[in-house]
Amino acid sequence: MSYLPCGIYHQHYNEDHAWWQTRFVWGKMILLGIVLFILIPTFCGDYLLSIAYKIGYTILAALGVQLLIGYCGQITLGHAAFVAVGSYTSAMMILYIPWPQFLIDAGLVYPISLLAAGITAGLWSVLFGLPSARVKGFYLIMTTMAAQWITVPFIITQYVSRIGARGHYFSLPPGTISAGPWVIDTDRKIYYLMIVLVCLCFFGVANLLRSKVGRAWIAIRDNDIAAEALGVNIVWYKLVAFFVAGSIAGIAGAFWISALYFVSPEHFEFFYSLWWVGVILIGGAGSLHGVIFGSMFMVLVEEILRNGLVTLGALMPGFVLVGKFDYFRDSAFGLAIILFLIYQPKGLSYRYWQIKNYFNLWPFSY
Amino acid sequence: MDLFLQLLSTGIMLGGIYALVALGWTLIYKCSGVLNLAMGELTLIGAYVCLQLYIWFVPLMGIITGFIVALLGTLMVGFALGILTNHFFLRKMIGEPVLSVIMVTVGISFFFRGIVFSIWGTDIRVFNPEIFDITPYKLGNLMISQVNLWAFLAAMLLLVVFVAFFKYTRWGLSMQACADDEMASLSLGVSAKFVYAIAWAIAFMAAGVGGTFLGNINGLNIQISHLGLIVLPAVVLGGLNSIPGAIVGGIVIGVLQNLADGYISQFTPGGVKEVAPFVFMVIFLLFKPFGFWGWERIERV
Repeated sequence: MSYLPCGIYHQHYNEDHAWWQTRFVWGKMILLGIVLFILIPTFCGDYLLSIAYKIGYTILAALGVQLLIGYCGQITLGHAAFVAVGSYTSAMMILYIPWPQFLIDAGLVYPISLLAAGITAGLWSVLFGLPSARVKGFYLIMTTMAAQWITVPFIITQYVSRIGARGHYFSLPPGTISAGPWVIDTDRKIYYLMIVLVCLCFFGVANLLRSKVGRAWIAIRDNDIAAEALGVNIVWYKLVAFFVAGSIAGIAGAFWISALYFVSPEHFEFFYSLWWVGVILIGGAGSLHGVIFGSMFMVLVEEILRNGLVTLGALMPGFVLVGKFDYFRDSAFGLAIILFLIYQPKGLSYRYWQIKNYFNLWPFSY
Repeated sequence: MDLFLQLLSTGIMLGGIYALVALGWTLIYKCSGVLNLAMGELTLIGAYVCLQLYIWFVPLMGIITGFIVALLGTLMVGFALGILTNHFFLRKMIGEPVLSVIMVTVGISFFFRGIVFSIWGTDIRVFNPEIFDITPYKLGNLMISQVNLWAFLAAMLLLVVFVAFFKYTRWGLSMQACADDEMASLSLGVSAKFVYAIAWAIAFMAAGVGGTFLGNINGLNIQISHLGLIVLPAVVLGGLNSIPGAIVGGIVIGVLQNLADGYISQFTPGGVKEVAPFVFMVIFLLFKPFGFWGWERIERV
């Protein structure tokens, strides 16, 4: 709940429905836009930009998880499967479909494959969301986990990866990934692609959440039996939630091939499914801000740990943890989740809300 | 037919180990309501602890005694770890939402995995010198490998011990009471904290022994924790809160896994063994959402 400053009265409903209701918020958002679209790409080096688009990828992937867990109450532990489906769909379409020359010239191949990836991943996600009509809670967790085990280690590793006798990797030749007239080949362009996709997905999800669909999801999350009694078609809305979440995951996957230039099943292991659930729990379940805060926290902490260990390795070559970053990261991630859930169960977004509230009411906080 | 019997017998023996690990899982769920996703890592850590103890003890006492002592040591370490885990992580989560508790167990699994691999590395490790002879026993046309047989017997022995523990000892009875009705048992003087701690300790012990034998069969690496995850289909099959269900589910999953491996994997490039339990579980859930012996919960608004 946000408070309007005193002296502002709404006279039309569309003022009430507006996203940004006051001048101050408009100014804040424009400032944010300037920082995101102009200042960061101009003044940050390649390394910082690469961290930024990693954060963006985490946001895109965790957004679907947030939608399912935080808003629809359907706990999923197999989201990496849908990201993988999106990624592979996009890569295969780029590589194997004989595109007409004018589409290639116009640079529409990658955007079309991006959309197709979203749809395919969404449908794949609906397929594994179907049991949600019958089961919930832990049993649903098991079916989403089954989605992960069936998709990534079996279908993708054993069948899809072997198409064209490629072995393990699908690498994309330089120049094949282009959005319109821009060939995505530098970190700066990847960053721009990321920021556009993140903004679009956020715009879509935030608007869905305040529509009929979103209210139905929230009703299902809070009490599915009560929602059904009130006339919400819970099976349909659950499947819609699975479709939207899967589509965003697919888009995330299709975006990620532009940053990596190749795909391999290693990027979509079970670990990542859990990692994204961790992201939204640390950020705060049931909050779109939480996705952003959680992603920034996780990626930045990972980078800080990595750099810290590298520096430590330079200082003390015999130190135990040097060269074991992956395991150390696993442990730190596990501990972070546990500590957050014990000491800050509402996540970072709750902390943000408290800070904002403090300043809203400052200096008279009563 | 020979192939079928062969696969069946191997499956039952492997399933015995799964049943042991699944028992630990069900116990935690029954007593404390925690849905534990860290079972794979519990098997992993038990297996590596046993390996380490084995390496230390074998030069002192010879192979067989060394192994038995290492196994007993694993049980003790598992007991301690279970009580510590419960004390530091799970006890604070009593009364929190289900997702939070599940994610705490996920956190525990990452924590332990990181620790295990930074201590022992990710390379495949084997029990060296070998404990069990590789020449299999022959029963007609049936070949029964010694590792499998002994693992099955040990798992069955432990299952019997645990079940007797629940039925006839004071602690076991208090655990049953707590699983049946926590509030009533609290008012009769059963300490729920103590019951939770013991449940985790037993889960660690069961998983540790299961992991040790799995490690003896296939060698020790990350694969063990995947095998530990296979207990999840097993408990879903039996119903989450039924101990006989867990045992039957474990054996059924073991058999199915071996049958799928024997009959289907020739038509695919590979990986059937890991996926088959999950596929079977999803199909099964569509028809019988509460497993064979699970309680069908009736919810009210």
